[in-house]
Amino acid sequence: MRNHDEAARSVPSVLGACCADGSGPTQPVGPCTIRVALVGQPNVGKSTVFNLLTGLNQHVGNWPGKTVERKEGIHRCDGVDIQIVDLPGTYSLTANSLEERITRDYIIHERPDVVVMVADAASLERNLYLLSEILCLPAPVVLALNMVDVAQQQGLGVEPHVLEAALGLPVVPMVASKNQGVRELVDTVLRVYREGPRGVCRPDIREDHREVLAELVNLIAGSVPEPYPEDWVALKMLEGDDEITEMMRARLTPEQWEQVHRVLMKHEDAILAIAGGRYEWVRRMTRAALTVPKAGQITLTDRIDKVTTHPVWGLFVLLGVLGAIFWLTYTIGSPIQAFLDRYLIQAGAEWVRTALAGAPWWISGLLADGVIGGAGMVLTFLPILVIFFAVLGALEDIGYMARAAYVMDRFMHLMGLHGKSFLPLFLGFGCNVPAVMGARIVDSPKARLLTILVAPLVPCTARMAVVAVLAPIFFGAAAIWVSWGLIALSLAVLAVVGIALHELVLGGEHVAFIMELPLYHKPNARTIGLSVWQRTMGFVRKAGTIILIVSVVVWALSVLPHGEVDTSILAAVGRFLSPLGALMGVGWQMMVALLTSFVAKENTIATLSVLLGVGGEGAGLAQVLPTLLTPASALAFLVVQVLFIPCAATVATMRQETGSWKWTAFSVALLFILSFAVGIGVYQLALLTGWGV
Amino acid sequence: MLEKLLKRLADGGAHTPESLARELGVSRDMVERMLADLERLGYLEAAGGACESKCAGCPSAAVCAVGTPQRVWALTDKARRKGF
Ligand SMILES: Nc1nc2c(ncn2[C@@H]2O[C@H](COP(=O)(O)OP(=O)(O)OP(=O)(O)O)[C@@H](O)[C@H]2O)c(=O)[nH]1
Ligand SMILES: [Mg+2]
Repeated sequence: MRNHDEAARSVPSVLGACCADGSGPTQPVGPCTIRVALVGQPNVGKSTVFNLLTGLNQHVGNWPGKTVERKEGIHRCDGVDIQIVDLPGTYSLTANSLEERITRDYIIHERPDVVVMVADAASLERNLYLLSEILCLPAPVVLALNMVDVAQQQGLGVEPHVLEAALGLPVVPMVASKNQGVRELVDTVLRVYREGPRGVCRPDIREDHREVLAELVNLIAGSVPEPYPEDWVALKMLEGDDEITEMMRARLTPEQWEQVHRVLMKHEDAILAIAGGRYEWVRRMTRAALTVPKAGQITLTDRIDKVTTHPVWGLFVLLGVLGAIFWLTYTIGSPIQAFLDRYLIQAGAEWVRTALAGAPWWISGLLADGVIGGAGMVLTFLPILVIFFAVLGALEDIGYMARAAYVMDRFMHLMGLHGKSFLPLFLGFGCNVPAVMGARIVDSPKARLLTILVAPLVPCTARMAVVAVLAPIFFGAAAIWVSWGLIALSLAVLAVVGIALHELVLGGEHVAFIMELPLYHKPNARTIGLSVWQRTMGFVRKAGTIILIVSVVVWALSVLPHGEVDTSILAAVGRFLSPLGALMGVGWQMMVALLTSFVAKENTIATLSVLLGVGGEGAGLAQVLPTLLTPASALAFLVVQVLFIPCAATVATMRQETGSWKWTAFSVALLFILSFAVGIGVYQLALLTGWGV
Repeated sequence: MLEKLLKRLADGGAHTPESLARELGVSRDMVERMLADLERLGYLEAAGGACESKCAGCPSAAVCAVGTPQRVWALTDKARRKGF
């Protein structure tokens, strides 16, 4: 390493005396040598230029102690030897990576006569950012604007002359892969070497930082080791560059360091202004030189996103998509569900009763009413859920879900919810359990708690499935509007609770975030199929375990102790709750159904089916329910059902995630009170207006 | 320009790299670079990919609706301490 360094540093002394095309007073001595470094981002064509110029005159080694290739070669032209180093590709000149350090160290320590920055014309802005950093180093720069052909293909208009005028540097347009512009590049390098640098336009440094820089330069003056330029070292320290700061700390006396450190701490944020100034500079440099085609850039995704991510239209699209999901469910899923109920559940229960007529009463009761009527009934949801899952899966796969989440967040943000919280909350549409768990990604404890508390207000698929079964029974063709309204209501309640808790718990902190939206693409049947299958299997497992158990328990409680529903334990519990039910005109069976929905949401249907559905005359829920409830009561019941305490699994997860029984109990109590308050309110409002009574 | 971007974020709301590019008058590519810088400097943090590491044991992990590879950034506490 030493050898190389010395060899390299000894060159300029020889050089100073050569290439004297009138530039220097001294006479040429021997062959003239110029040292040129090729810098630039990865994959911009540095090595292509290098190979073109050096041909076989090159050798490849490693940077001392480093595994990065060091390529050097010589290009002879007009009696001048141009020594070229192909530096590794880097995106910036901070000390973050090996390549970045090699590049800046090379320029500082070896002081090449000319630095050729090879830039990709097709991503000019990014490349110019690197240039803005290189311009802070002590070397004349030539900009080799490569890949002009690619830029042309992409319809980008890059004006080398305009750019040259703006930058104050020579700019050479090139297509290195076709050997175009390389000759001009060599000429320009020679010219710059002879004429020296011109008035380069460098990024501005804000007035106050210029003063700080001057102060720093003062403090470190005399301690900066050769060959580092003092102002560059000061700038890097202000930028928070660890390598340079460490170097200086080792060289300053503790007192000096103390002073420097104080200045640096005071301006810890200077990097924002310095780097920000570079971006501003890039924008200024490219404003006139770069024209981006308007029409060609607007892709299909952009055009669709204009609508789907619009603050207002986006919300309508989202509501429309939700509406379409329900429409599909009601026109396809609900009739199939009704069919399965009639011909599978009712007929099956009937068949079991006939077949087991000789067995003890409780055996046929358990099987027909408990198992088939309860868990079996829930299985008839399958078509409805498959439709939900398929549409959800398709929307995810197309790329719409990200937009929905984006629009939702905009909307939630208006209500003061934490920006990050939308991610877990969005999961809640599938199931509240992952919504509560997902709140882990929210790092502020208060915001996390708030997210967990409102998560159960996101209507999950199980709740929506219950609505999808019950709404058509009560409301026929109007079911779709009722369901839509129930979801809107849930979200509205979520908003109100969110705002209230946000103000109380969080003190109104505003949080923003940025989200990348994937390109739309054609849905893939396999991906959707897989997601439907996994979700459906999850549901079937639930029906076969927890829902089955609850159905059997509900059935047992409904016949114990005397074999009569009306005198059963369940009826006693239900009657205990009936004063509350009376406020919205629903009987004790409905209250019991709500209660069992705590175990799993689908149990509402299972319980109603056990208690009412599989009746004597084979009349299913569809026949019995409308005779028990007025539309007003039915609506109130559905409202409570949607807003009610979440299922046990969600509550258990809330306890686990908050680590507090107090907050878990708070949430349960809040939702209990809230659901009945809104339900009763809806019913009383209906009574007042005379609707559906 | 980085300060402008952070201020814009501090006002709240949801943004995409495209919407920020429009507001700042630069290309999306530039915004990407700024976001990477701000992330490296600790003013922004990647909030997405929640399901990659943190959702172990989540029943929906396999079919997560938001666990898609898209990236999400949010302001960090550091940014807020600095008055953004
Ligand atoms: N279309 C086009 N392709 C080019 C041009 N110049 C170089 N290439 C191609 O771009 C690719 C990358 O070129 P390299 O010369 O290896 O790039 P590099 O800058 O050395 O990359 P790193 O060593 O990774 O930093 C090669 O496939 C070249 O053939 C050009 O002007 N136009
Ligand atoms: Mg290379």
